[in-house]
Amino acid sequence: MESTTTTSGGNALADGVGGTTETEPAPRTAKDRRAANKAKKMAGNIDYNKRHGIRLFLLIAPLLIMVVLFSYLPLFGWLYAFFDYQPPIPLSESKFVGLQWFKMMVQNPAQLQTIGQVLINTFAMSGLNILTSFFPLFFAIALNEIRAKRFRNLIQTLTTLPNFISWVLVYAVAFAMFSTTGMFNELLQNLHIISEPIKFLDSSDHTWLKMLLWSLWKGLGWGSIMYLAGIAGIDQELYEAAQVDGANRFQQIIHVTIPQLLPTYFVLLMLSISNFLNNGMDQYFVFQNAFNLKYIQVLDLYVYNVGMGNNSLSYATAISMLKSLVSVGLLIAVNWLSKRTRGVSIV
Amino acid sequence: MEFKTALTRVFAVGVAATMLFSSAACGNSSASDEDDNSLMTVEVFDGLANYQGEQKGWFAKIIKDKFNIKLNIVAPNVAGGGSTLFDTRAAAGNLGDIVIYGYDTGKGSKLVKSGLIEDMTPYLQDTEYISKYKEATDYVNEQIGQESGVWGIPSAVVENLTPDEPSEGLEPTFGPYLRWDLYKEVGYPEINTLEDLVSVLKQMQDKAREESGSDDIYAMSLFKDWDSNMMNNAKQPTCFYGYDEVGFVLAKGDGSDFESITEEDGIYERTIKFFNAAYRAGIVDPESTTQNYDTMNSKYKNGKVLFSFWPWLGQAAYNTNENKAAGKGFMLAPLKDMKIFSYGATPRGDKTMIALGSKAKNKQRLVKFIDWLYSPEGVYASSNQTGGSAGVQGLTWEVKDGKPVLTDFGSAVLSGESKNVPDEWGGGSYSDGISALNFTTVNVNDIDPNTGYTYNPVMWPSEIEKANENPLNKDWQEHMGASTTMEYLKNNNMLLVGAGSSYVQPEEDSQISTLRGSIKTEIVNSSWKASFADSESECEKIFSDMIKTVQGLDIDSVLEVDMKNAKDQDQSRKDILKEYQNKKSSSSESSESSE
Repeated sequence: MESTTTTSGGNALADGVGGTTETEPAPRTAKDRRAANKAKKMAGNIDYNKRHGIRLFLLIAPLLIMVVLFSYLPLFGWLYAFFDYQPPIPLSESKFVGLQWFKMMVQNPAQLQTIGQVLINTFAMSGLNILTSFFPLFFAIALNEIRAKRFRNLIQTLTTLPNFISWVLVYAVAFAMFSTTGMFNELLQNLHIISEPIKFLDSSDHTWLKMLLWSLWKGLGWGSIMYLAGIAGIDQELYEAAQVDGANRFQQIIHVTIPQLLPTYFVLLMLSISNFLNNGMDQYFVFQNAFNLKYIQVLDLYVYNVGMGNNSLSYATAISMLKSLVSVGLLIAVNWLSKRTRGVSIV
Repeated sequence: MEFKTALTRVFAVGVAATMLFSSAACGNSSASDEDDNSLMTVEVFDGLANYQGEQKGWFAKIIKDKFNIKLNIVAPNVAGGGSTLFDTRAAAGNLGDIVIYGYDTGKGSKLVKSGLIEDMTPYLQDTEYISKYKEATDYVNEQIGQESGVWGIPSAVVENLTPDEPSEGLEPTFGPYLRWDLYKEVGYPEINTLEDLVSVLKQMQDKAREESGSDDIYAMSLFKDWDSNMMNNAKQPTCFYGYDEVGFVLAKGDGSDFESITEEDGIYERTIKFFNAAYRAGIVDPESTTQNYDTMNSKYKNGKVLFSFWPWLGQAAYNTNENKAAGKGFMLAPLKDMKIFSYGATPRGDKTMIALGSKAKNKQRLVKFIDWLYSPEGVYASSNQTGGSAGVQGLTWEVKDGKPVLTDFGSAVLSGESKNVPDEWGGGSYSDGISALNFTTVNVNDIDPNTGYTYNPVMWPSEIEKANENPLNKDWQEHMGASTTMEYLKNNNMLLVGAGSSYVQPEEDSQISTLRGSIKTEIVNSSWKASFADSESECEKIFSDMIKTVQGLDIDSVLEVDMKNAKDQDQSRKDILKEYQNKKSSSSESSESSE
């Protein structure tokens, strides 16, 4: 719109230079005339536009403020990575140390190895979670196929409940059941199946798998809610048509329910990929101990352990910046992938 | 338009709220100037406390009657998470009204620098006891870089003991303590060295399980609460051989050996292997890896554990009058080659101090309270939870014929029995009413000038006499040929006193402490893994892997610092010994020098 008006203006100027005697250049074509009229009208209403723009801006202002408060303001915390900050002494009186902490991160292979292991853990846990992201989908379908309504509701309630239990309590339950003197070991010992208690919690075997199982137990029911809503929204005519074609229940699931749910699934999958590095720390924090620490320490937990546990807040800040770095790396990778496969880039 | 009005409204409310808060804050600050002696809740940030919340019971009643204060204890030990609580409260600018915290490794100077504690000098006019420990408070000043004033009073100060004497009473801080009744039943087998304990404990455990019929009795039970530079439990046996920790270094009390804990075939690896041997012999509680101190302590109380690194754990939990009368209890069973490390008495106090919070109200009253804690009455009343002073005169002890004796009530509760305090003393169970500050102001083995005896009742003639009466002690004395543990250790030259120099580690470079952070995580975790390895070769492998990893993490530059600190500590021990010897023999020396 704006460009059209400029062009017409440009034409007018060219005409003027061309040596025509008219003071006001007459539009040549209908298109030019229309554009000129519009420009005149808009020039008159500039005040209105401004006010309208401010109103629209005010509408998004609260969101912008939130974004600034929660996404940009915390970036100032990165300052701590360049100082030698020791808690009771304020930052203003701390010594500026430049890149010292970043150098420490890479100064010896053992340290690099630790960070590498932490990244592997982070990727493994997130990867496992994404790999199992279709579980809630199947669970929702299975749940939907239960014909007894009461039973279905009961199952749904029971599987959704764990989502509302905090990880601390989950650990308390886990401890009561799986510690060396816990319920499970006692039971097995009393049945004379084992003679020595099995170490479920304090061993480094299958840590990733165990953590995955816990998070599945906690999140399965909750994760399926979205799909249940999706199933309810599927057009019943599709099923009727399938029935007319002679499809049995299983075929209906394969050919109607799943294809209809896939868009929902992909949206959720995308969201979970974008949350790749934010696999949280509370679960791993409560389950960590000397024996499984090597495999349970994800990035967030590592930053906490270094900063709060070992009292090296500046160093922990430097490590946490790694997360942003990896995120940018992931973004570039996904962008490249998207360009290659769809021809359209995300950013 | 509507937006504007709405915005104006929001702002108006906001401004009003801010003004309300700020005026409230003003109200607070103006009230702090005068003390109307009304009931005041004193927040104590206490690095030693193992209890969080309001002080209850008889101690609460005493201080309420005396100062009209209630104590609310904020305990980083209970909150857990390392220094998180300290950091967050320090960042908020107010640790507490009273601060009990270490002043070593630069912590004290940070407290001063960031304005969290205040000089007590302006409030000292009515106090009597704080000034007695000027040597100690001056020493604190020196360590925290202050020229003058009273910034903090260290714990465990003494007046009447010299630094070469053990600061402990009848029992050392460390020692191999066994359930003597079971040790007797298996025929007092000789224990030549640490590793022999495994078979002895195994026999004792079998015996105990056979007798009680319950198989949840384990000879050893470990816990991880106190792990820092190393697995805390694994340090304890090294103390049987005269070592104590300085960072990653184990230093012998007499300065004859300084050893890194990562040294191959060193004393630390030896104890890890000892734990592992014990684990493989099936005498280590499998809950060790997950339990905390409280859980473990209750196992001691119930007689489920047969070995203790410390008398103040095993004896305090299990040697009740009742058990002792039945001949049961923890007593020292000597390893033939041991030389137990003992902390010398510290005229300049220990590394923890009590200080006045800068944001406190009614500071005068608080300083008076702190002064009282250092008075004989306060020392008696504010003993810590494990084997301290005698308690309150009139309740737990009294003076008879010029000598202090425990009352029946006192004798019962101090031996660990649970009894309720009479209502006029505040009611509630005695043990719940013990001062939760857990802060020893004056070493309890120092002499109370009023009675002429120690604050610690076990050293009283009446108690020593009584102690000799019960079958447990009688049997022990008969077998060992000495009347008390200290006497036995001194007679057999099994005690190594690290002179009480109050050496304080200097502030550490933050790069070093960051390195230390990742190294100690590795060491602590590997130590636990190695202790609970399924075979000796696996244990050795974990340990040697650990050495490799920490070398990769650059332990050498941290060790350099620790080694220097250990040697400085040794030097300061030698210095203070010399100083006191000079004091002792100043007259004879002057005659010598004239010759």
